[in-house]
Amino acid sequence: MKLKTVLGITVAATLAMPVVAQERGGTLNFARYDGSRLIDPIYADRNPDIWMVGSLFDTLLRGSADGNSVEPGLAESYSVSDDGKTVSLTLREGVLFADGSPLTGEDVVFSLDRARNPDLSPWGGLLGSIESVSADGNTVTLSLSAPDPTILSMLATFNTAIVSKAAFDSAAGDTDQDKSAAIFAATTAGVGSGPFYLCGFEQGASMDFCANEHYWRMGADGKALPYLDGVHFEIVPDDATRILRLQAGEVDAAEFIPFSRVAELETDPNINMQLYPSTRIIYSPINTRETRADGSPNPMADPRVRQALNYATNKDALIGVVLHGAGQPMSSPLMAKATQYAADLNPLYAYDLDKAKALITEAGVQPGTEVTLTTLAGSADDATIFAALQQMWGELGLSLVVEQVDNATRGAKNRSGEFDIHTYGWVNDVNDPSQVVGWLGYTPTAKAVGTGWENPEFNELFEKAASEMDPEARKAQFARMQEIYAEAAPLLFMYETPFAVALGKAVDGYVQTPLGNNIFDEATVSR
Amino acid sequence: MSSLSYIFKRLLLTIPTFFLVMVIIFLLVRMLPGDPAIAMAGDRASDADIQAIRERLGLTQPMFVQFWLFLTNTLQGDLGRSILMRTDVTTVIADRLPITVFLTIYSVVLSLLIAGPLAFVAALNRGRWPDAVIRTVFQIGLSMPVFYIGLVLLTFLAAQLRLFPVGGYGDTFGERLYHLFLPSVTVALYTSAIIMRNLRSAIIEVLDAEYVQFARAKGLPARLILGRHVLRNALISTVTLLGLSIGNLMSGTLVTETVFAVPGMGRLMLEAIFARDYPLIQGLTLTFALLVSLVFLMTDLFQSRLDPRMRLQ
Repeated sequence: MKLKTVLGITVAATLAMPVVAQERGGTLNFARYDGSRLIDPIYADRNPDIWMVGSLFDTLLRGSADGNSVEPGLAESYSVSDDGKTVSLTLREGVLFADGSPLTGEDVVFSLDRARNPDLSPWGGLLGSIESVSADGNTVTLSLSAPDPTILSMLATFNTAIVSKAAFDSAAGDTDQDKSAAIFAATTAGVGSGPFYLCGFEQGASMDFCANEHYWRMGADGKALPYLDGVHFEIVPDDATRILRLQAGEVDAAEFIPFSRVAELETDPNINMQLYPSTRIIYSPINTRETRADGSPNPMADPRVRQALNYATNKDALIGVVLHGAGQPMSSPLMAKATQYAADLNPLYAYDLDKAKALITEAGVQPGTEVTLTTLAGSADDATIFAALQQMWGELGLSLVVEQVDNATRGAKNRSGEFDIHTYGWVNDVNDPSQVVGWLGYTPTAKAVGTGWENPEFNELFEKAASEMDPEARKAQFARMQEIYAEAAPLLFMYETPFAVALGKAVDGYVQTPLGNNIFDEATVSR
Repeated sequence: MSSLSYIFKRLLLTIPTFFLVMVIIFLLVRMLPGDPAIAMAGDRASDADIQAIRERLGLTQPMFVQFWLFLTNTLQGDLGRSILMRTDVTTVIADRLPITVFLTIYSVVLSLLIAGPLAFVAALNRGRWPDAVIRTVFQIGLSMPVFYIGLVLLTFLAAQLRLFPVGGYGDTFGERLYHLFLPSVTVALYTSAIIMRNLRSAIIEVLDAEYVQFARAKGLPARLILGRHVLRNALISTVTLLGLSIGNLMSGTLVTETVFAVPGMGRLMLEAIFARDYPLIQGLTLTFALLVSLVFLMTDLFQSRLDPRMRLQ
């Protein structure tokens, strides 16, 4: 409800912007929670890198505002052949890289070949259907080995952004990665055609984007975007300090505001507190293996126990104590509401203690059975979740104990199955449900998010959907997968959270997309 | 023993220390659950990807081979390549070292400026109200966590009164003094409390010593007694304590650099540990160990100047 209102206001504010007197110029100072290390379409593997790719590089297609379809980008038109195995794209005339050199079909072939090379890119697998890429003048042709319903979404995703072949040819270094690092360290304009180029970088401290004067998209005043002269980023890892810097007027924006501070900042007259809708879901994988890592029998191997845990968890109460109300319960078991094909199963395991107790008795779980929740050490959210669940599940006669680890340890335990339950989060990188569903449910990719859950019908549906070109049939396949998953409950389904960003009053037009991308294309500062 | 051979002997002693530090840190990082390949590849990578990364990082080699490479490369000044920063560890550390050293020296100077005069005031007014006030205030300072003091100072002095900037660390020397005042004073408050307490009781002890009573009885001026006899003798234990607390000060940078967003070695250490960046953790630990040994060496030398008895042993 709240989210919709905020979105509505943002849209209304954008529409109401005066067309003639467009605010231009100035530098926006932005406080980040963590720094970028290498902003390259294919090597970006952490959110602070991934979410900045779009500012420096362009993709052939662009995601639409609702995230459910694509629009022309560097390619002004595109078509998919009837057999679904050929994609033809026509490049926009006269697009230049930020240093003024022309962007050609050769750059597109180079970039896509790089992006689909699994030896180079951790994202190569997402482009597995591409057999070859060729260019003839302004026409680019992708030949696929099999029809791929995700291909258009992939061409609008950060890892297929176009880089300059010339910049890589002339860069120092023996390997592609060395070259990329050298280009990044040189902070020059020649490598991308996005609205900005990297013009300053101090490892661990700050980063500068300068406006690309050759950018092709037009602003409301009929002149080229972006409106800003530049963006200056500073890394401020501590939440409280980030907010203080905004309040002291040293920066214009602070991202990742803890939800416990949102209400307070909403009443601050100098601050515009934004909650951007996201595809971020917070959930807890449950170990479904027959035995635990120490060899003892695992009570949670029984789906009734997992269902009981879900029924005994009061999601609204969790949202109240952890997010201070800024969130909503998950309504699809496999993805955020904003994802294409998300089924609305709301309420998903509505709080029902009697049902939970009945299920746990039916499964024969002894009172006093111990369950371990692995949490991130130092995470206030996790500590609160643990305290709440301990109380809620105590009603079922379960004794919840906590084990605190750091991120790397949690990752290793998830991989080896040495856990009962732990907390996790996910944000979509691609405008298509296949990525998140592959992560949470499809066994060959990641053992269903480490839970060890395996369902042949689910796996088969997932594989079928990977080449299903009929949107309706594909939607039905995903609907069935969500049904199976909800029933099996390999996760504790918790909630969706927005991206909380606090902006100074001078800032307008900044957006963080549901995928998390920081968009400064149409941002302005008025001082 | 001449002071040159003393220095030489002290330097020889640091060699086994360093070897031990290297063994311990090498084993410690590898005993942590979760290896760099997993941290690097992320949760979504396949087991085959992880194995490939492990091979590329040389983690599949036997432990003793890895240690031998670490040892011989380090002796040649090569600390390896940071997994996290994708560049040489020495470059990354050289980038971050000056700011942490600056912060540490600044904190030490501030601690001495705070603790020295107040210790004298407290000792000379022993048992009276100035002593009580000073000791109470420092006791409170000592019992508050560093990050909390830091946030309180930031909120009041920087965000509300706007006396200092909340963030940034300046380019020129003057700017650094201004920007890093709050982080330094935060650390200094804690250290000065320890130093003040020690210096105060040392002064009191010396004031009660017979040679000071004698000097007083001889009618020497108070300034001469305090300067030549009291301060010099009281400083001996304080210098030791200061040397030891610089080790603490450096570990304190892990917290202060994060709260104040100062891009120094302390914050880098945290990031390196979370990413299981073995080469970077090893490099940073060695650098910290080197700095601390250097400080201990200087402490010993300074002490042997203050107290000639140390040179005779």
